Amino acid sequence: MSDGQIVVSGLTKHYKNVRAVDNLSFTVEPGRVTGFLGPNGAGKTTTLRMLLNLVKPTAGTATIGGQRYADLKDPLHTVGAVLEASSAHKGRTGINHLRVICAAAGFPRSRADEVLAMVGLTPAAKRKFKGYSLGMRQRLGIAAAMLGDPKVLVLDEPANGLDPEGIRWMRDLLKSLAAHGRTVLVSSHLLSEMQLLADDLVIIAAGKLVRQGTVTQVMDSMAHSAEVRVRTPQVEELTSALAELNATVTPNGDGALLVTGVDAPGVGRAALKAGVELHELTVERPDLERVFLELTAGKAAIR
Amino acid sequence: MNLVRSEFLKIRTTNAWWLFGLGAFAMLALTFLINAVGAHYSLTEPPPEGAGPQVSATYDEVYQAANLYTSGQFFGLLFVLLLGIVVITSEFQHQTVTTTFLTTPHRTAVIVAKFVAAALAGFGYWLVTTALNIPATIIFLNAEGFSSHLGDTSVIRAIGLNLLAYVLWGILGVGFGVLIRSQIGATVTAVVLYLIGTIAGAVFFSLIANWLDWEWFEDLQFGLPSIASGLMVSGTNIPGQPQYWVGAVVLVAWVAVTGVIGTMITRTRDIS
Repeated sequence: MSDGQIVVSGLTKHYKNVRAVDNLSFTVEPGRVTGFLGPNGAGKTTTLRMLLNLVKPTAGTATIGGQRYADLKDPLHTVGAVLEASSAHKGRTGINHLRVICAAAGFPRSRADEVLAMVGLTPAAKRKFKGYSLGMRQRLGIAAAMLGDPKVLVLDEPANGLDPEGIRWMRDLLKSLAAHGRTVLVSSHLLSEMQLLADDLVIIAAGKLVRQGTVTQVMDSMAHSAEVRVRTPQVEELTSALAELNATVTPNGDGALLVTGVDAPGVGRAALKAGVELHELTVERPDLERVFLELTAGKAAIR
Repeated sequence: MNLVRSEFLKIRTTNAWWLFGLGAFAMLALTFLINAVGAHYSLTEPPPEGAGPQVSATYDEVYQAANLYTSGQFFGLLFVLLLGIVVITSEFQHQTVTTTFLTTPHRTAVIVAKFVAAALAGFGYWLVTTALNIPATIIFLNAEGFSSHLGDTSVIRAIGLNLLAYVLWGILGVGFGVLIRSQIGATVTAVVLYLIGTIAGAVFFSLIANWLDWEWFEDLQFGLPSIASGLMVSGTNIPGQPQYWVGAVVLVAWVAVTGVIGTMITRTRDIS
């Protein structure tokens, strides 16, 4: 399980007038869930498709365990991918969809039944794909990805269309796969879900890397934007005391102020010096959503 | 081999093959009836007075026998063509091409497997068609008081080359489907080209040939794959027409060209 590292290096894709992906480099480590984030049109799907040899890069490389996808001897044993929920023939049954893949990959037919049971679709095995709900389609996609018991999982928006129970199931599945040493790369724009799921983050916008690191690192990198919430009966005195420190102070009603530009100890010291009474002093850590929006702000998605 | 099994399983697990098969069967029954009526008159009556050598040549037992044994070819080939088209376009229609190329990143191998699977399907159509044609023709010829001619070299040759036509048209369909990825677009274009293009081509080349008095120009119509297929299975040589093997060469050339172009396009195409 040591060779499941994904390395993207200088990856670039030009379409006619658009640089969909622009000199993008990052790594994804085994044994962790890596969230791949970006606004719509940031180039997430194109990047994943280049990684999987579906789209030809204009420049740069993407390797899995040191090899390009096209050079993998046993692709399904190495990588399982879920790219779009609707990728099965509408008139074919779920079990036959998996059997077709088994035949091409040289797996025994029984493997199709096993993965179907794993995702809880056995009762719908003989139903045609057009009769599947969106959540069932996602499960079938995951079943297909698990056929080869791969070391690396690549999922593009897997939570789309899942109900809360399905999302929880997906989260537990991906976490346990990572805990067993597999590499899990998940693109998503469901940020609250990512905060629960991911260990590492890769954030891109307009085809370029914005941030990479563990969730904590990414959050801390934006710590300067952390807000301090303070409540005092002497609003005016405190406001002028903080203004001297070049802090931005926004009244938040009920005698509360939101302060940015000065950390909590700084606010406390300023209050003590000015002899202002404090009733509340808390740091409001930004959540992933705010960090994400600040990091990608101004990098228009529509290009 | 695994890939061919997988491609064949794809055909078997969807409805197109038996729907097209049903269509081919219905058209086979109809064309056999028409051929039988035609054979009845041309074998019992002399050619009409003043008929050209081309028409007279069809008033021949062997020609009519070969024609009967290969009944249903015109529409059978159309359905094989459509099946070949569906083999490739359904992958784009249902976005399964992503899964297919993830499973097998070597795209040439995938396309070759599709060619083989479509050819096998063509073989299947030929097998059923021929299995129906042979007893029906024997019964008809015996009832009319003729020998079955089934042992004649030219009849066997016609049946064998008919098999070649069915196989090649399956491959042709896959090649065509690569060029026009939209399933509805590819099937409609193929049907229109096949039905109208064949007739229009024949008329066009004949008219130009008559108008400019270029006899050789009329033979260019045998460059059309559908007309070449008909030529290939004629039991006897018709005066003024190229030899049967010219049809086979033309068809193989078409298949080679569409096959190579189709493979090359597939190899470099972005799947998104």
